[in-house]
Amino acid sequence: MNEYTLLSFHAVIIAFGVLLMTPLGESMNGFLVNKWPSTSTKRGRTLAGLMLVCTGGFTVSAHTLWMHNKLSEGESVCTGSSILNCDGLIGNPEYNTVPFINQPWGLLGMVAFCVLLWIVITIAKEPLALTTPTFLKAGLGATIAGLPVIGLLVSYEIKEGLICPFCTTAHIANLIALGAFFFLLRLYESEEWAPELKKTRK
Amino acid sequence: MMKNLYRSEEASARGEAAIIVISLFFVGLLVVAFTSNPIATGTQPGERAPLFTSEAYNGNGWQTFVFDDLLTPEWSPNSTGDAPWIAVEFLDTDCGYCKQSAEDVGNWAEQYSSSVWDGPEVIFIAIAVEFVSDSSRAEIKEFRDTYEHTFAYVDDLDVDIAADWDVGATPTYFLVQPDGMVAWNSGQSSNSIGWDAVNEEVFPLTDYTGDNYIELNEAIEQLTKKYGGGTQ
Repeated sequence: MNEYTLLSFHAVIIAFGVLLMTPLGESMNGFLVNKWPSTSTKRGRTLAGLMLVCTGGFTVSAHTLWMHNKLSEGESVCTGSSILNCDGLIGNPEYNTVPFINQPWGLLGMVAFCVLLWIVITIAKEPLALTTPTFLKAGLGATIAGLPVIGLLVSYEIKEGLICPFCTTAHIANLIALGAFFFLLRLYESEEWAPELKKTRK
Repeated sequence: MMKNLYRSEEASARGEAAIIVISLFFVGLLVVAFTSNPIATGTQPGERAPLFTSEAYNGNGWQTFVFDDLLTPEWSPNSTGDAPWIAVEFLDTDCGYCKQSAEDVGNWAEQYSSSVWDGPEVIFIAIAVEFVSDSSRAEIKEFRDTYEHTFAYVDDLDVDIAADWDVGATPTYFLVQPDGMVAWNSGQSSNSIGWDAVNEEVFPLTDYTGDNYIELNEAIEQLTKKYGGGTQ
């Protein structure tokens, strides 16, 4: 199977997550609400979308870890004469591990997206908990902490004159998650966070 | 009491979320682990030799030397073609043992790249380090000229490459497969084991001279011809 076909699986998960977070997600309400009632609210849809984005980030990170291993075996996994080339970056021992801990970037991505996913699932399970704002801020902080890492990896891409599409997909997932956490934090401060409570009060 | 109840519920949410996420993480790791077989970078037999770029003297001045350029990544034990093996010697121009063996190394370099040799071509490179006392590029050039070596001498006076290759003494020899895997390392605690690329395991080399030490030429003869010999 072509590597871009494989990449599209991750991209579809992330794209569907983004779709849920946008106003288009609201139009899909009927289809989703029967199965997942929580998606009837803006909060529920955003959290569900964010879960998908983090899941896509996790799977694409796992894929880059797999590529790292395959490249160490001497196989070629994603080459091309074009600027889009993973082998030249994931297979480059100068850049393919996290400084100091010497572990593949893909593994760091898996851990990072798992932490984000844990935060999102916890918020989704108990949206009215006292700790929710702390979790929202932690999610925002974690995604902001990812920015210097993305900057470092992009600097490697610029240095090598190559773009790794798989790595870029993971970076985009982090950026989307950052935006989503920011949006959720704003939503939490509004009445739209818990419209069900608003109804009860009336 | 109400506060405790709240705490309890929140803890439950965090715990359930953690179970889901940890399960997902381990499933991901297991899938990666079962579908790939990563090879570590290092200098023990069966590991991928660390890549390097430096400057090398080849008789016509100092030029950029890229180790990767010598490799044939698509090589396999059963592949046809004339992919060359690489013999790497770490030496110090002030080291007595390096001087003693220099003539032999020169002869082997000629022998294993000539048409008389019925095995695959072996490219020799020397990596000049500075362990004993101050050295210089002029000394490296003089050493190479003295022993009439025709192969490239790589400048590693800052011992960066030696550190990556875990070399602490000279001379140290390595035989690297065309695909970049270390097949033999003279600096191992037991230097009599080589890498079997077919079975992916180490195997004992035969000591032809009976001196309880495998020389570079003995490793070359046994390892390069293990997969059918000839230049194919």
